[in-house]
Amino acid sequence: MERLTTNKFEKWKYQASSWLIMLPGLVLFSFFLWWPLLQSIRMSMYRTRNIELVEFVGFDNYITIFQRTEFLQALSNTLLYTLWSLIIGFLVPIFIALLIGETVRAKGLFRTAAYVPNVLPGLAAIIVWTAFFSAGETGVLNIMLGWFGIDRMSYLSEENLVIPIIVTISTWKGAGATALIYMAGLAGINPELYEAATIDGAGVLKRIRYITIPAIFNLGSTMLILQIIAIFQIMYEPMILTRGGPDNASLSLMLLMWRYAFGGGTMEFGRASAVAVIIAFILLIFTTIYTIVNKRKVNWE
Amino acid sequence: MSSSYKSIRKRIDQSRKPRIGIIRDFDLRSPGVKVSVGVINLLCIFIVIISLFPILWVALAGFKDLREFMSSTYLFPESFDFSMYIRTWTQLNITRNYINSLYVIIGSVVCALVFNGLLAYGLAILKPKGYTIVSKLVMFSLLIPATISLVPLFMNIQYFGMGGFFTPLWLAAGANAFFVVLFRQFFESLPISIIEASRIDGCSPLNTFMKIVMPLSKPIVIVVTIFAITGAWSDFLLPFLVLGNGPYQTVMVRLFIFSTEQTINADDLMRAVVFSMVPPIIIFFVFQKWLTENIVSAGIKG
Repeated sequence: MERLTTNKFEKWKYQASSWLIMLPGLVLFSFFLWWPLLQSIRMSMYRTRNIELVEFVGFDNYITIFQRTEFLQALSNTLLYTLWSLIIGFLVPIFIALLIGETVRAKGLFRTAAYVPNVLPGLAAIIVWTAFFSAGETGVLNIMLGWFGIDRMSYLSEENLVIPIIVTISTWKGAGATALIYMAGLAGINPELYEAATIDGAGVLKRIRYITIPAIFNLGSTMLILQIIAIFQIMYEPMILTRGGPDNASLSLMLLMWRYAFGGGTMEFGRASAVAVIIAFILLIFTTIYTIVNKRKVNWE
Repeated sequence: MSSSYKSIRKRIDQSRKPRIGIIRDFDLRSPGVKVSVGVINLLCIFIVIISLFPILWVALAGFKDLREFMSSTYLFPESFDFSMYIRTWTQLNITRNYINSLYVIIGSVVCALVFNGLLAYGLAILKPKGYTIVSKLVMFSLLIPATISLVPLFMNIQYFGMGGFFTPLWLAAGANAFFVVLFRQFFESLPISIIEASRIDGCSPLNTFMKIVMPLSKPIVIVVTIFAITGAWSDFLLPFLVLGNGPYQTVMVRLFIFSTEQTINADDLMRAVVFSMVPPIIIFFVFQKWLTENIVSAGIKG
């Protein structure tokens, strides 16, 4: 566009008006995203009282939280969330896409139904699941397992079950949308490849191994990193479902941040910010990996 | 005669839709593959059941009164009494929350379209000197979640005295990296010659945006609108911090307070959940075709 202008004043005017057009957006991005992120770093080094910064304390907040068992627990829980989401959250959408891709009739119905959980408000979905897993004899899962003679249990008070259950719930909500992206990737595979492979005598499994998997491998690696980034921010689910319990067994880093800031009677904003900075730092590492992996495909300039 | 023949013929052809996936029609000669095709169909039906069952269940549970909800070990309610829903709606005065949510949605959609659209217009078409820094920052924001800096954001909102009303929620929709990326990708695919022609005809950049770029971008405008609506409807953390216990609570803020403070009967909670699910489900089914097609292209590119 700039090449349309000729003289110097026009060029200057073009630059100025272009930036002016972007200015409102830039102000909002600064106010809602960029500036608060920088403030988090600053605040993590201060002792705070309500919304005021009281005194500069250097890395004291970090040292304090690293000495607290709840932080270490939250950190290891978050890693556990990530691990489970790699097993459940990453693979389930691929299977859904493969399965639905192989159907002929009612494909649209399958696709739509799998996507529906994604449009529900997250909060509402979690409340429904709370009733599902509720401990008493009226818990839906207990009723249904009762049909098969399985004794009732309080699933959400089992320390070993709570994280896999939460990951399953978040997969239930998100898998349909992710599967749509995989389906588009699968549909992009040249059908002649399958025909050629068949002529060469490749069975169905061999076709999956040598054509399908390589074709969606790049997409898969991108989705994998996005999945990790997403699960690292998990907060609503444990917040509503278990309040981080039992005994902090489902406490995530984000939830700990929320708890420090708004959870108790005291607003420990400095400490909360220190947790936020640690999360941001870990996400930055993942993001860097993501951009390296993604570089071949997306060029942002 | 011939038309009925044609329709029968058409039906036969449809039932013989060729398989275009990994498994092909000629594979069906093998009994093993035939069985696995059956299993695949069963699994897909299973996926449908799993996806929809919790939603159906909560709608059914809404017909139970408190006694039945707390004691019944049956999934189905004893009777389908709509007065339960009506009673909860009026007692909790959900109408007011619906109206508040509507205000949030309208403002959020306007802000999402105008501010993200303009920023993307600058990044995709105007490209002034130094725009690459902005595009990198936006890309960075796409991957670092906004929730991380919720604490200082909350403090700033308080500091500027914006708490208690919708303004911060509206403006927050104007700073959405995902929307900027969606707009930007679409703008980049527009024919540049049309935009340059309007410029040669003396149209200012802002006029070009409003009269040429946006009207040409209807598909992405609709997608962003839908996302902004569902996002504004579903969000509850920032709205909770901003609106709190004040008079402007949205449906989700109300639901959040219900679920954390447990000041509500369990059966009323289930009905409140249903009320919160109805609008997004309606929007989804109205725009279903649009969404499933466009999300995919957006997802692939983004």
